[in-house]
Amino acid sequence: MSDNVSYSDRRTFLKKVCKRFSFFGLFSIAGIYFLFAFPKKIRKKKTIYVYACGEEDLPVQGVRQYYIDYTLHGKPVTRKIFIVNTGKEVFALSSICTHLGCLINWYRPENRFLCPCHGGQYDISGNVIEGPPPAPLKRLPLKIKHQKVHIGIKV
Amino acid sequence: MGCFLEWLDRNFGIKKPHRRFMYRPIPEGINYFFCLGGVAFTLFIFLFVSGLMLAIYYVPSENGAFASILHIHNDVRFGWLIRSFHKWSANLFILSILLHSIRVFVYKAYRHPRELNWIVGSLTLILTFASGFTGYLLPWDQKAYWATEVGTSMVKTIPVIGSYVCYLLRGGADITEATLIRFYAIHTMYLPLFMCLLLWAHFHLVKQQGVKGGL
Repeated sequence: MSDNVSYSDRRTFLKKVCKRFSFFGLFSIAGIYFLFAFPKKIRKKKTIYVYACGEEDLPVQGVRQYYIDYTLHGKPVTRKIFIVNTGKEVFALSSICTHLGCLINWYRPENRFLCPCHGGQYDISGNVIEGPPPAPLKRLPLKIKHQKVHIGIKV
Repeated sequence: MGCFLEWLDRNFGIKKPHRRFMYRPIPEGINYFFCLGGVAFTLFIFLFVSGLMLAIYYVPSENGAFASILHIHNDVRFGWLIRSFHKWSANLFILSILLHSIRVFVYKAYRHPRELNWIVGSLTLILTFASGFTGYLLPWDQKAYWATEVGTSMVKTIPVIGSYVCYLLRGGADITEATLIRFYAIHTMYLPLFMCLLLWAHFHLVKQQGVKGGL
């Protein structure tokens, strides 16, 4: 530090630097805040149909579990689903518990879907019988074309 | 910008009454450990601002909570940054308050005449833990659910009134949407309000009693 720089000069200089930095900081925070709060257009999810099994593999009566494979954001995904045949209708159910997203299992002795996490129970149509789930199991669209069963998944 | 602020201050006059507070001389014999309280306060401001930002997108409902967290993290611009910032600031906030308390303890600054400030600081620490606990439930995932289940069950061990206090905390017998809304309100409204009041009292006492030395 040279001798001709007086104490008050240094103080004014530092004050100025601090001021500039705090203005810069405030403006960048304001910018980030604006970008954060400004709503972004969200891509609508579209339904793709994924092959699950041949028509002859569908359950004659009751519930059968299938694993379907598809790609999501370029990564391979395997998902468990159930296809239910009540005798009157055939439909597909998601295996995701509507409470906190655990994977449920079909328990044949009691004819119920059981969730291992918090004891949620659903009947064969996916309606809640017991436990904390707030909504019935989600039904997935099911399409049969040329003897092949396809399940609709939103991606 | 600078001249605008000067014009504002000429008319509003906020600088002058605070001059005595802002331009106090620093007493001798102070080291960097005396900054820990200031670090904690800075983190509190960070938490306040990032919390205000997160409150724009967070949905305190059984179906919406976790989905809104995913939305903040994946879709909102800088959402991942703000949420991580809030989380890390919260962890560092608790750490810096603890270090600050250790500093006060080591320097015996809890003694007369600063005993009231020690009490105010301890209350702030308790409110900080409460903020951390209530904030933990808000993501509404497995970890949050079970942490709250265990945490609120601990209250049951209090003799006689335990189960009633647990019922009050959860807003029912189990952890449901009622608990989530309760914790959300406590985390975002009640605790910050009380915290501001306590910090104001804390700083008032620091100003009155000085940073260091006897009175």
